[in-house]
Amino acid sequence: MSKLVPLAELAGRIADGDSVALGGSFLHRGPFAVVRELVRAGRRDLEIVKQSPGYDLDLLCRAGRVRRVRAGIVALEGNFGLAPWYRKAIESGAVELEEHACATLTAGLRAAAFGVPFQPVGGVHGSALAELNGWVALPDPYGSGESTWVIPKIRPDVAVIHVNEATEDGDARVFGTSHWDHIMTRAAAKVLVVAERVVPAEQFRARPELTLVPGFLVDAVAEVPRGAWPGSCWPDYPVDYDGVRDYLVDSADGFAAHLARGPETDRR
Amino acid sequence: MWSPFSYLVVNLARFIRPNEVTFSGVNSTLPMLACLLAKRAYDFDFTYLNVAGGVDPTPSHVPISSSDPVLAEGSTSIFDNEDFYDLCQRGGMDLCFLGAAQIDAAGQTNVSCIGDWHHPKVRLPGGGGGAVMLPTARRSVTWRTEHSRRTLVEHLDFVTASGGMHGVVTPIAVLVHDGQRLRLASRHPEVTVDEVLARTGFALDTGDVRPTVPPTEREAAALRELDPDGGFERDAGVSLR
Repeated sequence: MSKLVPLAELAGRIADGDSVALGGSFLHRGPFAVVRELVRAGRRDLEIVKQSPGYDLDLLCRAGRVRRVRAGIVALEGNFGLAPWYRKAIESGAVELEEHACATLTAGLRAAAFGVPFQPVGGVHGSALAELNGWVALPDPYGSGESTWVIPKIRPDVAVIHVNEATEDGDARVFGTSHWDHIMTRAAAKVLVVAERVVPAEQFRARPELTLVPGFLVDAVAEVPRGAWPGSCWPDYPVDYDGVRDYLVDSADGFAAHLARGPETDRR
Repeated sequence: MWSPFSYLVVNLARFIRPNEVTFSGVNSTLPMLACLLAKRAYDFDFTYLNVAGGVDPTPSHVPISSSDPVLAEGSTSIFDNEDFYDLCQRGGMDLCFLGAAQIDAAGQTNVSCIGDWHHPKVRLPGGGGGAVMLPTARRSVTWRTEHSRRTLVEHLDFVTASGGMHGVVTPIAVLVHDGQRLRLASRHPEVTVDEVLARTGFALDTGDVRPTVPPTEREAAALRELDPDGGFERDAGVSLR
């Protein structure tokens, strides 16, 4: 049965207050069309989960749609430095932050994927993040004398990823690195996929080992060419640095104009 | 001989050792350049992993973003984020380049905030690789484009990552950890030891400190090749003082 829906309908499957894991990393292969659509749809009080957010989280903070962030490292990268609206949101206390190392966030997601309440992670010793987050180190029950930090389960309500290709049944594959998309799609209660292209299932059947997410795990898929703009979707297109620069212009008109430039608006 | 920019990139590259596994991450343009430089300027083999999933890549161009997928071009495999973090945690990462906003004498780092964590004056990018990679990588090296008492501090505003940097490169000095604390290993030839001390927020054991060995012809040529029009040097905006 086809799971292909318009972008607006896909974004509609994310509710106010949801915990949302966003795929990609910094300016690369993020589900940015969905993020802009959430702003247009007036979604609010979101919890954003991502090891390395940037443009996506900054844009949602700028629009005032975020309640809480669980993240490892937040920046625009590529010479743009800190994420300015995210920074303001945290400094003013408007948004709550659970600061992670990228790998501790992954451990929390792994706990959810494994169906267990917590997950061990290497390192962390000596980091003030442990006390800040109330993390616990457990002794090795098998007697090595070592202790290991364990991270509580992080189970997002929904994971949204942007991929190169999908089938209408929701099977999805990416070219180049998968960033953290694999663990996000196993940890979340629901998976939404946005694809550059929807292709016939025969193409996936020919190389099933290239499929990152099987369709049975996926709730809905939308086709949005250039949907990762102004970020990259390798090898289809690189970062549009002018587009990022435009986004950073600090005016209400500038923000509205940026949202209107989203490639997803072409298909309305 | 040295520009402040070449001093940073080349001295980062000099931490790379033969037959080891070396990693550069996000927000890490200078280490990315250092790894690509080492591949061109040094005769030894090493495995270069990066956050774009690249394994000894041969990128068609050098990207502005150090996490750009072009950094996986030419790789024979993709070693993704979960993979390289797991490798580090199990002790398989020899050299990690990790960012830091503040560094203390023990080589601990703060990438979280300036001021109190709960009411920050400046919210910084945050945890990133550090808290897990710094204690588990065999060696980690960081860099600052500014050598000052604001960045090399007696007390960190927040201890994001412990475990201790093996090396720190600034535009004027190379610091190396002696097992207890960072010490001055060499200095920019145009800078005195006294200036390095004056601009460092913690006490430095200097011992017999020599000027940093000038860039070799191959190092200089490799850097020119990576940054032919000086765009990276301009973007880095790094100066001696």
